[in-house]
Amino acid sequence: MEIRSYADYLRSLDDAALIALFESRSDLTSPVPSDIASLAVRAASIPSLVRAVDSLNRWQLQVLEAAAVLPEPFTEKELLQHTDKSAKFALAALVNRGLIYLAHDGYRLPSNLREILGNEIAGLGTAAPKKLKLKDLENAPTASKKVLDAMVWGPPRGAVADVKKPNPGLKWLLDEGFVSPVNQQTVVLHREVALHLRGNKVHRELLMQQPELTGRKVENKSLQLAAISNVTTFLRWTEEVLNFWGQTTPVALKAGGLGIRDLRELTQHLGVESACASFIAEVAYISGLVTIDPDDRILPTHQFDIWLSLPASAKWENLTSAWLITSRLSGLDATPMGPELDRSIAAIVRRKVLSLLESAESIAPTAESLLAALQWNIPYRRTGGVPAEYVQWISREAEWLGITAQGALSPYGLALLNGDDLSMVDQDLPKNVDHILIQGDNTAIAPGPLEHEVAQELDLIADIESRGAATVFRFSEQSLRRGLDHGRTGEEILAFLKKSSKTPVPQPLEYLIGDISKKHGKLRVGNASSFIRCEDTALITQIIKDKKVEALGLRRIAPEVMICSHDAIDAMNILRSAGYLPAGEDSQGLLLSGPRVQRAQTKARPPRILGEFEQPTVELLEIAVRTIRTGEKSSAKQSTLRDISQEALGSLPRTTANETLELLTKHLRENPSKSLSIGYADNNGLVSHRIIDPLQISAGSLMARDHATGEVLTFRIPRITGVAAL
Amino acid sequence: MSDGPLIVQSDKTLLLDIDHPLSVECRRAIAPFAELERAPEHMHTYRLTNLGLWNARAAGHDAEMVIDTLIKYSRYAVPHALLIDVAEQMSRYGRLRLEADPVHGLILVTTDTAVLEEVIRAKKIAPLLGARIDNETIAVHPSQRGAIKQSLLRLGWPAEDFAGYVDGQAHPIELKQEGWKIREYQEHAAEGFWHGGSGVVVLPCGAGKTIVGAAAMAHAQATTLILVTNTVAARQWRDELLKRTTLTEDEIGEYSGSKKEIRPVTIATYQVMTKKKNGVYSHLDLFDSHDWGLIIYDEVHLLPAPIFRFTADIQSRRRLGLTATLVREDGMEGEVFSLIGPKRFDVPWKEIEAQGYIAPAECIEVRVNLTEAERLSYATAEPEERYRYCATTRTKRDVVQELVSLHAKEQILVIGQYLDQLDDLGETLGAPVIQGSTPQKVREELFQAFRTGEISCLVVSKVANFSIDLPEATIAIQVSGAFGSRQEEAQRLGRVLRPKADGRGARFYSVVSRDTIDQDFAQNRQRFLAEQGYSYTIIDADDVFQGKI
Repeated sequence: MEIRSYADYLRSLDDAALIALFESRSDLTSPVPSDIASLAVRAASIPSLVRAVDSLNRWQLQVLEAAAVLPEPFTEKELLQHTDKSAKFALAALVNRGLIYLAHDGYRLPSNLREILGNEIAGLGTAAPKKLKLKDLENAPTASKKVLDAMVWGPPRGAVADVKKPNPGLKWLLDEGFVSPVNQQTVVLHREVALHLRGNKVHRELLMQQPELTGRKVENKSLQLAAISNVTTFLRWTEEVLNFWGQTTPVALKAGGLGIRDLRELTQHLGVESACASFIAEVAYISGLVTIDPDDRILPTHQFDIWLSLPASAKWENLTSAWLITSRLSGLDATPMGPELDRSIAAIVRRKVLSLLESAESIAPTAESLLAALQWNIPYRRTGGVPAEYVQWISREAEWLGITAQGALSPYGLALLNGDDLSMVDQDLPKNVDHILIQGDNTAIAPGPLEHEVAQELDLIADIESRGAATVFRFSEQSLRRGLDHGRTGEEILAFLKKSSKTPVPQPLEYLIGDISKKHGKLRVGNASSFIRCEDTALITQIIKDKKVEALGLRRIAPEVMICSHDAIDAMNILRSAGYLPAGEDSQGLLLSGPRVQRAQTKARPPRILGEFEQPTVELLEIAVRTIRTGEKSSAKQSTLRDISQEALGSLPRTTANETLELLTKHLRENPSKSLSIGYADNNGLVSHRIIDPLQISAGSLMARDHATGEVLTFRIPRITGVAAL
Repeated sequence: MSDGPLIVQSDKTLLLDIDHPLSVECRRAIAPFAELERAPEHMHTYRLTNLGLWNARAAGHDAEMVIDTLIKYSRYAVPHALLIDVAEQMSRYGRLRLEADPVHGLILVTTDTAVLEEVIRAKKIAPLLGARIDNETIAVHPSQRGAIKQSLLRLGWPAEDFAGYVDGQAHPIELKQEGWKIREYQEHAAEGFWHGGSGVVVLPCGAGKTIVGAAAMAHAQATTLILVTNTVAARQWRDELLKRTTLTEDEIGEYSGSKKEIRPVTIATYQVMTKKKNGVYSHLDLFDSHDWGLIIYDEVHLLPAPIFRFTADIQSRRRLGLTATLVREDGMEGEVFSLIGPKRFDVPWKEIEAQGYIAPAECIEVRVNLTEAERLSYATAEPEERYRYCATTRTKRDVVQELVSLHAKEQILVIGQYLDQLDDLGETLGAPVIQGSTPQKVREELFQAFRTGEISCLVVSKVANFSIDLPEATIAIQVSGAFGSRQEEAQRLGRVLRPKADGRGARFYSVVSRDTIDQDFAQNRQRFLAEQGYSYTIIDADDVFQGKI
């Protein structure tokens, strides 16, 4: 079969080649195209080509550019001549991706591809309209050479004062046809000329190799230690953030995400920089440990409780695997957990950065070398390269997470990337301690990561003063009271401390706990709507036992006092109906005697007066009559007009657009000063009647003055339903 | 994972496990750059501060050494961010230098023009600077040496001061070690100070700060101005210097309310220095009256504001601050460090106690129940009167009386804040009362009588908070104090910490009214001592009456 088109080429591919194509361009199979023709359409469409071009590295891109500037069809040899011998492999990769294909007469490019690569690929101008004598270039006058030097490596266009009056150097070039004018002030150097001058190479510098990653060597031991420290710290941060939000729930912003004030609070609580705090929040969010509920509250989920019970390796995997695939970049200057953090390239860049780090093998590459290597791998043509900050953020985040440590990929990060078993995280974590040391200055120190249960209990009765591998807790009156508020008793607290402390509980702390638990709850506060008191305790007892007043929901809080859930008036009515003789008491305790005269608390707002009006003066009445008369007249006229127009509309003949146009043209030609009656359809298809003075017809529209408004309007001719001269 | 004694926390605190075999070694290693914050029984807390790190740089330690030390002794992995921060902070030091220039006088030189550009644009710094000499150099008004150092410190670009110190007028001073020997830690302290140039030495009460002062004078070999809190202290300094050094009586002058002698070694009181005459501090000229080679500030935590200001102007003279408790409720510790100098020596109280240089002390809080009537009047008292009311209740008097009779054979000090309470106590106990209005002569007579054992009990007001040397006091009973002042509590405990001839321990009673703000204040007051490892025992007043102590 002779391959005459891209579709033909695709048809000629065997299964393996098609699979290879689909592998490198996954968008081609979602959804699966119905036949090769539609596959060819999709594969040659601009969006798909853009994706494919974006996935190339810098060298492949250069080869593709070189291919794009060669006249079609071209041979492999021509391409290698314009680039380098090793471009053979790049060419194969490009063919694999369906960006270059082999037709019956040589290599060709899908037609849209050049459009994507831009107008002036590799700084080369347009091809010359005629065959040029390139040999003559060697004899160019010096002034012309200067011009050529300025333009040879692009951009190929140059600005001149006036093409009509070129300077001698340019004039020679124009005359010879090496340079052509584009417009009055611009000239362009032809592609063949530039290529010739470039020594038949397309690029000045061939970027065949990824720039090497350079940096400091990190020792394995210290790398592992630092990584485990990062891992533990991040897990601790996450736990603390969510525990913190479990207690003081922030409310999400209207637009979504965590408000600046809540972020600041969080930053303070954790004692980290705010970029780090927002990252922690973001990771918890993307891994589903926290969510924004329908009431806009930011709350930890049940997932979090499950997460808490997992071993550290699983906890870590949970967070890091969510981070690996997310398209969100928390470094962006936008609200954490908000809607504006997505960048389509984020996950690609992240993967690439990590795989570069993996290839660097315990070298911590410098930021510059990492960026250079990344930009070679992902030239990302659409926006002129991956922003340097992305790489910076990703490195920073990987470090926080412990995927890297001291700038190099950690053993845990490596295992994560390869999908290996992560249980070594658990083995390398510092052993949990189950005891604390209580000291005379009312502090307790957990000399290592504390068992979860002990930590939680301690969190309740003490404030954390210092965080890290160890934790310093401080007992204070407030912190102990918090424990009591949560239902612990003084004895329980003391017993817990005695059990978990390796050192004896200092006596002053024991006293402090005793003092506070003694005082705690001495004052009781509750809600009541009214109270009933009586010096006769027998009567109180009687009432409280009385079935008839059960509705009052009485509770005796002292021998002489009961409280009631109804307000005072209801309580009195119920008591009266049960045969008691209660009297009201005001807020000062004074007896309210006699019927209680009530007064409204609000300002008086009498209703609006309707009906009666002031008697109007004669003058006013006269004016009124005059107004009415005038109105009447005009409305009669209006209604007559309306009748006429309705009638006119009915009598208007319906015409097609062509007939209308004809009628209008004729009318304008013959008696342009006469008004017309037309029917005109609005956007909804409703036809109204208009009286107009036609002015002019242009571009399918009629300009005319509308009698109803007096304005000049544009009427679209197809919408005019009929025309009649008045 | 090593099993070191140190836990490095991410908030830049260091926890030192003192029961660990390497703890002493580790403490020595981290002392140059970390500041001791608390020293209770099991875990000491140190903190890495910028100031501390810069001082370490000034003393010749580099970031690498700091990082190595942290990693070497750390039990867990050290947070990487912290290490980076340490390196970063330490690299800030020394980019700016103050130097003496033969042509321009004092100059500020930089190795990093960007930093210089940044600081000369700072509002606080611009007025202190003179003409720009070249890209890297700018002149500084010599009188602003202290001010510019302070401002640069606040900006986070501490200047290394190469301008040096004036030697002052030479004057031979030697330690006269006859029948006594300077202790190891005192020597360390004096040397630490001398190599650092200026700074503060923190030693517990009774640990012999005067000797550190004397040793510093022996290093300086120059005329010295000593600033002390009051006249009694001035006399004690004089006696001590006469005993411990080659100085003779003619060489030591007293500059106080009563005497105005200026001699090669002059001892002046803060009170006279800050006395205003027609709205001016007429006595501050003393600083300039002599070419002092060394200025010693005793009890530097009490340094009054005018002296602060003046100290900023005398940055070219060596300055030594001495204190037991560098905690100021006004939070001016930072000023002390930046004007007098960084902390050059600090050691936990308990360590000195372990070496036997200060007496072991037992702290006991006696809780007194108010009577029903007293509780009622306390509850209804005006808020500003409340502390006074509960601190001076009658019930306390009975407890004090009982305590005194229980320790009848020992030397007892009763210390309080309110004069009528003290008078009342004096009367009840039959003991003389020393207060602000007691003439100097009478005070000294009474102290002498107390020393010889003629009197066994003295009632003193806050005038005796500092610098009274009562060698044989073994019991102190505190009945009231200046609200929640931590350093007052420590100073008062210091009254009984001088080592006793027979090696007995001392006791410090603090009588507190239960369930009142007296108790709350007591808790705050005790914090400093608790952080130094003194743990209080709480007993009930009834235990005292039943003799159960």
